[in-house]
Order: sequence, then C-alpha cells, then structure tokens
Amino acid sequence: MSILLNRETKALIQGITGRVGQSQTRWMLEYGTNIVAGVTPGKGGWVVEGIPVYDTVAEAVAEQGAEASVFFVPPQSVKETAIQTIDVGIKLIVVITEHVPVHDVMEIREYATDSDVQIVGPTSPGIITVGEAKLGIMPGNMFKPGRIGLISRSGTLSYEVSVNLATAGFGQSTAVGIGADPVVFTNVPELLHLFEEDLDTDLVVLVGEVGGVQEEEAAEYIKKSITKPVVAYIAGLNAPQEKRMGHAGAIIQGDGRGTAQNKVSALQEAGVEVAQFPAEVVRLVQKRLASS
Amino acid sequence: MRLYEFEASGLFARKGIPVPRNAVVTSPQEAREKAEEIGLPVMLKAQVLTGGRGLAGAVQAAESLDQVERGTESLLASSVKGLPVQQVMVAQKVDVAKELYLGVIIDGYRGTPVVIVSSEGGVSVNQLVMEQPKSVAMRPVSISKGLRLAEAREMCREVGIEGHEVTQVASIFTALYRVFESYDCLVAEINPLARVTQGKYLGLDAKVEIDDSSLYRHIDLHLDVEGRIDNPLERKGREIGVTYVELDGDIGLIASGAGLGMASMDIIKQKMRPANFLETGGGITEELLYDVMDLVMRKEGLRAVFINIYGGINPIHEGAKGVGKYMKEHNVSIPVVAKALGNRQEETWEIFREHGVHVVADVSTEKAIEYLAGLLEGTA
Repeated sequence: MSILLNRETKALIQGITGRVGQSQTRWMLEYGTNIVAGVTPGKGGWVVEGIPVYDTVAEAVAEQGAEASVFFVPPQSVKETAIQTIDVGIKLIVVITEHVPVHDVMEIREYATDSDVQIVGPTSPGIITVGEAKLGIMPGNMFKPGRIGLISRSGTLSYEVSVNLATAGFGQSTAVGIGADPVVFTNVPELLHLFEEDLDTDLVVLVGEVGGVQEEEAAEYIKKSITKPVVAYIAGLNAPQEKRMGHAGAIIQGDGRGTAQNKVSALQEAGVEVAQFPAEVVRLVQKRLASS
Repeated sequence: MRLYEFEASGLFARKGIPVPRNAVVTSPQEAREKAEEIGLPVMLKAQVLTGGRGLAGAVQAAESLDQVERGTESLLASSVKGLPVQQVMVAQKVDVAKELYLGVIIDGYRGTPVVIVSSEGGVSVNQLVMEQPKSVAMRPVSISKGLRLAEAREMCREVGIEGHEVTQVASIFTALYRVFESYDCLVAEINPLARVTQGKYLGLDAKVEIDDSSLYRHIDLHLDVEGRIDNPLERKGREIGVTYVELDGDIGLIASGAGLGMASMDIIKQKMRPANFLETGGGITEELLYDVMDLVMRKEGLRAVFINIYGGINPIHEGAKGVGKYMKEHNVSIPVVAKALGNRQEETWEIFREHGVHVVADVSTEKAIEYLAGLLEGTA
C-alpha cells in the first residue's frame, strides 16, 4: 500500500477557499484523492469543487471523518492551525505553506512530540502515492506508478527526477517532499524507515541539496538500518558559500558541513550511489536494480 | 537576515545585556562629535555584514579626536571582503581582562534551539569546539520553556566560570536567550563577552540573524531590508520577491524552485558559466516573470537565458505570457531556451513558441542545456 497515503485516506483541505487552495483542490480531486472536507474559518457552509467547507477542523472531523490534512493557509496562521489539527487527532498533516517562521516550526514540532501525528513540511510539495492519491501541489503527470520510493528536499527537483525516471520506465510507489526550511517536521531517516518496511518499494531515491545535515544524518541511518538500495542526487555542487540559494535551509556555513561535497562523501561511505546530475539517477537506479 | 553590529547591539541593550557606549556614524565630523560624547579612547568599527573584520583592518582604535576623524574617513572609503563601508560604529574602548563566548543557535535537524557558553572567546565557536572542547558547554533547550537561569548557571560552572562571576554571566546568558526568543533569531551571539573589571561584563561584539520569514512581526524595529543588500541586482530581486544571486558567467538562469535552480546551475557549469542563480518559488504570475526577465537581462554580456519551470503550484502558462511580453517589447536578440513541464505544459509551450522562445520538450535539464549550448555554437 506504499507509505503514508492511499486512495482511501480521507483528506481535509485547510485554506480551501483561497486561490491556491481552490485550484489545487481541483488538481487533487482529478488525481483521485479522497477529499471529504475543507476548512476556512468564517466560510463554513461554502462548497468548493463539490466539497463541503467547515469553520473548524473539529467539525470537519466530526461530520466527515477526515484523517489527513493539507495546509494552504498563510504562514502566520500555520502555528494555530497545526495545533488545532493535532488536538483533534488528525494523523497526517502536510504543510505546503512557504515562509513559515522558524520559531513557529520548532514550537509545533515540540507540541507534536507526544502525539503520533506525522507532519510533513513546511514548504513541502506534498505527498503522492502514485496512481492513487496526492496531498500537495506536485503535477501528477510527472509521476508513473512503480516501485521506487522518492524522498526530496526540493519540490521542483523531485519532479525533474521523477519524470526522468518515469520516462525511462521506472515508476514510483510514493514520493514525499520534506521541504527545505532550516527546520522541518519530518527528517529523512523517518521516511527511509517507512520505505524500508514498505512491501511496494524496492529502491529509494534521495534528492538532497546543500545546507543543513539531513543527508549526513541519512547516511548514518542507512549504514545502520537500511537494507534496500538507495540512490541519491545532491544539488548545489557549485553553490557559493554564505549565499542563500532560495531555500532558507540552503546556506553553506564556513565550516565544511552542509556542502554538497560533504554530503556526497557521507552518502558514498554508506554505500549509496550518488549521481552527478539529475538524469544520471536513472542510470544508477537501473544498475542497482539489475544487481539486486 | 543578518543585522549590522550596531543594530544587534541595540537589541542586546533592550534586553538587558550591558554593551559599551556607542553610536553609529556616516561622516568623520559626526564621528568626532560622538567620540567627544562617548569619551576617548574609542574603537572605530566598520559596519559590514561579514565576519573577520579585525583581520581585515576594519576595526581600529583611536586615541584622539583627530585620529577619530582620520580613521573614520579611511574606513568610509574602504571596503571589507568586497562590501563597501557606509557606516562606522564609534564605541567606548575598554580594557579587557578576559574574553568569553555566549551563543544561541538552532539545531535544524533536531528542531530545537541550542545554547552555548565558552570560557574562551574572540574566535569562532567552530574553532573553539575543535581546538578547546573542554572550554565549551552546549545544550538543546525546549522552545516552550526557554533557557532557565539555573540551567545557565550550571553550564557556566561546567566550563570553569566561578563564584560571583557565574551570576553575572548566567544572567547575561538568559538575556541573550530573550533576544533570540523575542526577535525570532536564527543566531544570537556575543563574541567576545569581555570581563572589564571584577564582576563587570560587556558584550563587545554582537551577531544577530533574524529569520526572514518572521520579519513581518518585527516591523517595529524599522530594519531596512533591501538597503542592506549591496548588489543592485540582488536588491532588485528582493524587491520583486525572488532570490537572485549574481554569478560571474554569461548564461542567465530562471528556475521555479531552489533545488531545480541549483541543479540547473551545476549542469550549466559543466561547459558554460551561469550569470546568475534565480528562483521564483511558488509565486509565478505573468507580471512576475516579466519582471524576472527584466532583472536577468540587466546583467552585462549575457549570451543566452535558460528558463526551467514546473507547473505544480505555479501557473506556468501565465508565466510564459510574461516572458513573451518582455521579449516582444524589448526585441530580445539572444537565444531564450525554456524547459517547462507539469500542469498545462502544452499550452505553455505554445505561448513560448509564439514569442520566439526555444522550447525543449525533453524531460531532462541536461538535454535542454545541451540544446542551448548547441544554439550558441551554431550547431542546433
């Protein structure tokens, strides 16, 4: 059944009445997502794309049994929205919103520690279980059903890698974009663990980029706990130091950690094959699948 | 966003961290007046957003008012690591008996603040950790609870601070945490924290970086966001709401995501040189891509522009109209190559083609950049 999401998952759209929320709801419905409700405070009673809108997440859960939620709310509302959503017992939250204050992310993460909710993002492109459902903004036509698990820090770059894989005949089971902010809710190893356990996934592709230590930590985890083959690509070999390359997390500090080079060597040491360029991922996947 | 030292020092003072008397000036005459008020001798410190000012000669002592004027004049005419000096901080000069380090940073992976104290100071915390690990204590703290005084005291004792000094340093430590917490900092550092006399400490340098995403809740600080970006193209990028980083090549780049932009840059760099990095994030509109073309085209000596965009959250067909409008109005004569995939891709290609943009329908960025290289060599 792949990971986190499938065609049965009852989904809730928070911020459904906004311009982006509305158009993305249409794309998600078209893809097959089982959207049961929307929430926008003050807009209870509206209907968007045939989906009933509620004032509060509690009502949406009580009336429609929503289990998972995707956020298209403004950055300054993410903290309150997340706390309410965790409190009503939603088990999966995907935060698409960009520019969420980092201190708010840390607060939400601490708040969620004692509950069994899985939160992905912020600045996430979402989660897609290919051919079944998507909770997010990724274009569905860039993916094809198959047996590769995809974990990415960057949205657009994950589309690039998946469409290249799909074109070469390698489809995906589930693709998850964790977001590239300085602090994210779900780190790479948690997803590696889920893909390791997933019967529908044979190989994992990790798409990383400069900044932070996600890839270095992932390398440690792979050494200890992952038996499935992993192929990686790290963007930003040519990123200048101390310049922020768009993603808030993509800044290389002067101490050597966080550089693309450091990530590549850590991953290689853990037995991961690392592509030099996005399309090379296809060749490495082919090679690893042939030898396993 | 990194703050200038005088701004950071101001935040320190607001939260109860003792700092030397100081003022920021923009002319030698003003420096003379402020130095008179503060009292000689003073330190003259160039206000630039980079570290290592001491080694670069951007921090000088002045014993007389004439020295203050001359020093300020020479600093204002200089630049540090390529950044022109526009402001100078005049600060009371103190005799330092001992230097320490205090810092609050974020452990991005674990998602918590980390507080750090060292009984040594004046060098970078990375260097302290590597060379004198015993002088450093560091701990994660709960974002909801913050740094408690008892915890701060305990950490001070761990690194060998003793007696009455513990009380002084620990209370400054908690004040620094309040700065971090109140102003949504990514980094708040006092380095060095100097003991000037028995039991009296002053923060001699202030490093604060505020989270860009949180600036909206600190408008009361009246920080000039665009003004601190020296590069005019990068400043323009900030104004229109995209990330632009100027590079030294001649191939313009427009990408709809940071990771995709970095990957494109890596691929261009194989055989050519990128003129810039530019990523739009999820806010593409017709107007935005018009402005983005206008920005990228400002770079001198551009030979071609490569556009790499995905229709996920972005309405790329709208973006294509903006590019087309710019090309038509400005008679763009260099090749513009676009790779555009995702929602409404065919419609987007159509609009691009109508306006003379070369569309590469292949799914690989490598192929698209190869095509661009071919156009420049006259082989495509």
